[in-house]
Amino acid sequence: MFGYYVSLALRSLRGTPVLSALMVAAIAVGVGASMTTLTLNYMMSQNALQHKDDRLYAVQLDSWAPEKAYQNDTQMPWELTYRDAQALLRSDIPSRQVAMHRWGATVSQENSELRPFTAQIRVTTRDFFALFDIPFIYGNTWHKSSDQNPTREVVLSKKTNEKLFNGENSVGRSINLNGEPFTVVGVIEHWNPTPKVYDLNNGAFKNSEEIYMPFGLHRQLQIYSWGNLNGWKSEDISNYEDLLNSHYVWVQYWVELDNEKKKHDYENFLAAYIETQKTKGYFPRPLKFGLTRPSEWLVVNEVLSDDNRILGWLSLAFLLVCVVNAVALLLAKFLRKAPEAGVRRALGASRKAIFSQHLIESGCIGLIGGVMGILLTLLGLSLIRTLQMGRLDQIASMDWVMMLAAIGLAILASLLAGIYPAWRISNTNPSVYLKTQ
Amino acid sequence: MLEIKPILSALWRNKIAALLIALQLALTLAIVSNASVIISDRKEKTARPTGIAVEDIITVNFQPVSQNYDMQTAVAADLDLIRPIPGVVEATHSNHFPLSGSGSASAYYNQPSQETGGEVANYYQVGAEFIQAMGMKLIAGRNFDPSDIQVADLTENRESSVVIVTKQFAEKLFPEGDALGKYIYGDRSSHPIEIIGIVERNLGGWVNWSKAGNAVFFPEMLIAEGNLFMRYLVRTEPGQRDSVFNQLEEKLSQRDPHRVIEMDTIENFLHKSYSRDNTMIKVLSVVIGLLTFIIALGIVGLTTFWINQRRKQIGVRRALGATRAAIGRYFLLENGMIASAGIALGMAAAQIANRMMVESYGQPQLPLPTMLSCALILLIVSLTAALVPALRAANISPATATRNV
Amino acid sequence: MLKMHNIRKSFRTDTIETHALRDFNLEVSEGEFVSVTGPSGSGKTTFLNIAGLLETPTGGQYLLDGQDVSGLNDRERSRLRNEKIGFIFQGFNLIPDLNLFDNIDVPLRYRGFNAKERKKRIEKSLEQVGLAARAKHLPAQLSGGQQQRVAIARALAGEPRFLLADEPTGNLDSLMARQVMELLEFINEWGTTIVMVTHDPDLARRAHRNIQIVDGQVSDLHQNALGNEAATA
Ligand SMILES: Nc1ncnc2c1ncn2[C@@H]1O[C@H](COP(=O)(O)OP(=O)(O)OP(=O)(O)O)[C@@H](O)[C@H]1O
Ligand SMILES: [Mg+2]
Repeated sequence: MFGYYVSLALRSLRGTPVLSALMVAAIAVGVGASMTTLTLNYMMSQNALQHKDDRLYAVQLDSWAPEKAYQNDTQMPWELTYRDAQALLRSDIPSRQVAMHRWGATVSQENSELRPFTAQIRVTTRDFFALFDIPFIYGNTWHKSSDQNPTREVVLSKKTNEKLFNGENSVGRSINLNGEPFTVVGVIEHWNPTPKVYDLNNGAFKNSEEIYMPFGLHRQLQIYSWGNLNGWKSEDISNYEDLLNSHYVWVQYWVELDNEKKKHDYENFLAAYIETQKTKGYFPRPLKFGLTRPSEWLVVNEVLSDDNRILGWLSLAFLLVCVVNAVALLLAKFLRKAPEAGVRRALGASRKAIFSQHLIESGCIGLIGGVMGILLTLLGLSLIRTLQMGRLDQIASMDWVMMLAAIGLAILASLLAGIYPAWRISNTNPSVYLKTQ
Repeated sequence: MLEIKPILSALWRNKIAALLIALQLALTLAIVSNASVIISDRKEKTARPTGIAVEDIITVNFQPVSQNYDMQTAVAADLDLIRPIPGVVEATHSNHFPLSGSGSASAYYNQPSQETGGEVANYYQVGAEFIQAMGMKLIAGRNFDPSDIQVADLTENRESSVVIVTKQFAEKLFPEGDALGKYIYGDRSSHPIEIIGIVERNLGGWVNWSKAGNAVFFPEMLIAEGNLFMRYLVRTEPGQRDSVFNQLEEKLSQRDPHRVIEMDTIENFLHKSYSRDNTMIKVLSVVIGLLTFIIALGIVGLTTFWINQRRKQIGVRRALGATRAAIGRYFLLENGMIASAGIALGMAAAQIANRMMVESYGQPQLPLPTMLSCALILLIVSLTAALVPALRAANISPATATRNV
Repeated sequence: MLKMHNIRKSFRTDTIETHALRDFNLEVSEGEFVSVTGPSGSGKTTFLNIAGLLETPTGGQYLLDGQDVSGLNDRERSRLRNEKIGFIFQGFNLIPDLNLFDNIDVPLRYRGFNAKERKKRIEKSLEQVGLAARAKHLPAQLSGGQQQRVAIARALAGEPRFLLADEPTGNLDSLMARQVMELLEFINEWGTTIVMVTHDPDLARRAHRNIQIVDGQVSDLHQNALGNEAATA
């Protein structure tokens, strides 16, 4: 029977080509518009750390000014002071922990044709790679002591290694950063999460860093963060050591806690730390700290902007208009064919049969509209790529989840559009249409 | 109008179909009017004057390969090299580029006690020729003198004693309009800084900042030890920017190859800073256009269908003496009534949607004239869309009445 | 075959209630050819619609083939209609988009026959009405009489035991009407029970039995008169 309904549907669509085209166009445009924005929003909300979402936490401590919160009455600073970061690093509760920030330096090589360039660098403790699950191609992370002592070692990204060493095993070889020699200890696989969940306050859609270096080098190199540096208090800072001991927040902090008990222990540890610091005159605000999972971190950092949300809602409203449009057209079309349905009823078609027949017809419209909607979505996404919005270029693409969602949305939309007209026609009294006029 | 009653009863019999059209129009009005208010808001925002010669400025950012570097000498040599290039109007150094999305901000007060009268401003540490190099307009006071320039370190408190501020910031701190010659004080500092000049405007580093336009300029050269870099702003004659751009990097790296040079333009920064707003404008315009198109097509399709369904009836009416005009008018009137109902509903929906936009997403309020003009346009679109089939209906021959379909 | 006992049918609109049938009693036996006459608006079509399971009565009992149909759901009713009942209308009611072959195909599809069986039956029934050569034509390409013959072929294709005809000759000239009537009589001879509403007294008289509906009821007087007539004949 299904085949019969499909052939009837196709025949009926061919019978009213203009109207069918209108309905297909309405669904296609509606699906295209909403899938374009929803795809963008979906890609912007991806959590590259989903698989570790139950164990990773971004750490915040409320070390801000006594009179007002960092932002919006309640928000804690996103980053820690260097002092606090060093103190937290001493805890052995987390199985892994990372203190880090963004930096940059010139890269050059002795006896090389390579033009010096400025590389984006992540200054971090050694657990970075294990905590964020980044595999190594060559070598490994630096030794534990490098995070305390000034050891000039670096880990390269795959791309940087290709640029500097043609992708060869470069472990043990040397590069210059700001003119000073550093030894390569490892090369990681390509890793570029979008959004950049581990560092959201320097631009959520920036590329990940080209070079990684130990956290122990601050004093020796006088490293100033290339990320945000925020303070609330006037302190007499006359040298680099003063900055490290200041109230300025600029260090991002992540921990890996294996289970609820560890998490609980760590919370106690943080509370105790803040309490002892309070006695020394730090942490003037009420005791407050934050342990936030990656998925929530993306939300509280508002990676998906209000504009994105507006467009998301708007496109759904748009789709709704398209669906209502399709309902009206389908209703008109089906009612015009009501006499035929009456005859079919007289000849033994049940209400369900009539309903199915018409629902399949609307489903066909949905399928064609959906396929065209996907094409429109691809077109829309490529249009967005031409708008050149930096990193958005890379996320303006559909994965298979979104493809399926688009087809599903199209069919759902057209079934929704078709259900009322199909119900209406299957429920009209056939005898009304069998009378001669 | 005699026809209103029969139209109403005909509509009542087709109430679902009529309701669907009205609903479409209502939703469309809600979307279109809210989208237009966002568009005009963003257009206004992106059209704000920047106060600088956006199209003529090249930015240069360089980092010496090695940190053992005599920055002060290099800056002098570079600027001496850049200024004589044909087409260059002026060049200077600065710690940040306006409109680039990065910068520094701090609070300033109009008295040292700092209990009140404070305001946050975007601060710049710039060369003496900054105002000319940016193409800004000095509206009061004097420009910097090369002797004003102090050399500053990242950690050092600024000890500069003179400052040039934007008119907007001057009026915030000194609402009486007598800012020139007054002193301002840095955050928790009692060091007085004299306002020696006021410029018409400068939007500063962050176009999306609620206080964009609060900017102060100190005559300082920032040399951050351990983090050596320098930035130049080069203004060219109009139209000469790209040709100067091409020579600049080569000349600079020829003079001193041991550094990494990155160049860009202020125009490009502005474009990037507004990319979100421009995207909103484009996407929303497309949405408005598409929606109007779809709704027009839908009305054409539906009216045509209704008319086809009533062909015989129309023929009978014609046979009974109805004129063409009467038939055309009937369908236009019918459409007009549905559209008016839809639009009335849409105005309410638009207001509700706008309230949510205002509350949840900080969007601007929907002014009545905008909504009414959207409603009017939609009504005209709807009537125009109905006109095509209505004219066809008017042309149905009275003979249809006697013909068997 | 068909037994109606105290059938009532009323239509409710906003303002008035119309009693189309009331205390309607009728019995039709297997193989009978019954004609139904009566003034316009008396309830003839309503009776046929109820008999054909297109409408449900407001009250009373209806036995089709000895089965009480009042408790059946839409699906079962549709199945009965499809298997046991054929319809012929005054307006032919062919589906204009489908050619003759596909028109006749419609009830067979709902019956669930396979393609071979359907083809066999369609060809056979088109042959019966003498239109085998026109299988690929659209209804609009036929004359009124031919269209009605197609409608009959469609009604017969499923080999129903019960044929309901509502003024099948109403739109035809007398020659065509006679041809259609002959076709119906032929079908009846092969065993199909027929109930036919008509305004034509000549045609009504050719049936085995004539019943008259007046004001939603079978008029006793008339039935007796005709019955006597039949007895004396
Ligand atoms: N759907 C309906 N709604 C309301 N009243 C109806 C409906 N169908 C029929 N009627 C009423 O029921 C009564 C019987 O109608 P029916 O169609 O059975 O008459 P008929 O005997 O077939 O007449 P004709 O010979 O003119 O076809 C009429 O008064 C009619 O107005
Ligand atoms: Mg009748």
